[in-house]
Amino acid sequence: MQIRGFTERLADRLARQLLRWLHRRVEPGSREWLDALTAESECADNGWQRLRWALGAVPLVWTINRRRHMNEATRGTVRARFAPGVANVAAIAGWYAVIIPATYGAARFFHCTLYFGDQPGGCQEHPFVFGSIVLGGAVLGMLTALAWRARFAAYWWAVFSVVNTVGFVWFLGSGIADVPRYGATQSAMLMAATFGVVLAAIMRETLSRRSIAAHLIAGTISFAAADSLIRIRDSQLAADNVNHYAVLGSAVFAAILAGLIGRYGSRLSAKGPMDRTPTERSL
Amino acid sequence: MPRLPNTSPQTLSVLELLLESPRSWHYGYALSQLTRLKSGTLYPILMRLADQGLLETRWAESEQPGRPPRHTYRLTAEGAKTARAKLAETAPAKMPRRLASVTGGR
Repeated sequence: MQIRGFTERLADRLARQLLRWLHRRVEPGSREWLDALTAESECADNGWQRLRWALGAVPLVWTINRRRHMNEATRGTVRARFAPGVANVAAIAGWYAVIIPATYGAARFFHCTLYFGDQPGGCQEHPFVFGSIVLGGAVLGMLTALAWRARFAAYWWAVFSVVNTVGFVWFLGSGIADVPRYGATQSAMLMAATFGVVLAAIMRETLSRRSIAAHLIAGTISFAAADSLIRIRDSQLAADNVNHYAVLGSAVFAAILAGLIGRYGSRLSAKGPMDRTPTERSL
Repeated sequence: MPRLPNTSPQTLSVLELLLESPRSWHYGYALSQLTRLKSGTLYPILMRLADQGLLETRWAESEQPGRPPRHTYRLTAEGAKTARAKLAETAPAKMPRRLASVTGGR
């Protein structure tokens, strides 16, 4: 009974903390709907209900901020056009600045060598090294991006973390111990998809009208760049095939993602700036 | 093909509920319980409906002292008209279960 009471109080506290934290993530002029949800949280019968209710504020804040961002982006100021794109690129570059030294640091810590083949003494003897670095790095990248308010990069790293988790579990489950090659393939996918997405982000922020052709070019460039890099590093035919498909797949993914962004952005720009809510207008 | 606006089952269930008493003010928590929608689904729908001029919003003092004012909602005249039209247009398969039982799944 005491434990139940404790967990309920904990859930209640978490709910209130979450709402307070989210409140700070929304501009004062756009808080009407979050305030509405927060006020209704008082109707919850217990802490767990309140926490479930408060969790709904996360997608709500995402919606509010996305709409505000779209409104700002269509205003046409230089800052609105370039600042988010630069922040996104900086966030992703910052992630690389952490992940590359971390990879080499971990290899040194485990006294192994970073081989892209199946040589003895390579990091394949420590299969969780790359997994932990890549997953930890992706989460770190997401947090960095959120701290810099580079939402696009944050969502990108969130998706990447999920994809990597699934991929890594599948890879370990398959019984293949060639983690360095998996690492190389992951790097190829990361490079290709990131490059495509960064280009798309820049275009999204800087162009008033996006075309699907421009995004396909971004995907093609990313494919060519990553593929050539991988071929320099790993000349084995099998690895080339694996990396070729990985890079091709991720480039296509980047192009599709970029196309979707462009389509969404075009639909918004065709409609014109979104109106503010009646309450926001009166503020 | 892009989906028509305000035709998702979730939006239809909100419209249906609001249409049951179009001149009354509704609370978000009650709407969530009656439609079984989570707050993260319900509020973006309410936001969108309000932006489209289909929903009127108002802050009302809470009946319980010490609690913050509550946001309340009701359909505008245009909203009621649109809701009726959308609910009538919607295919039975996409209709909310509550509505389908009322109309006999028409």
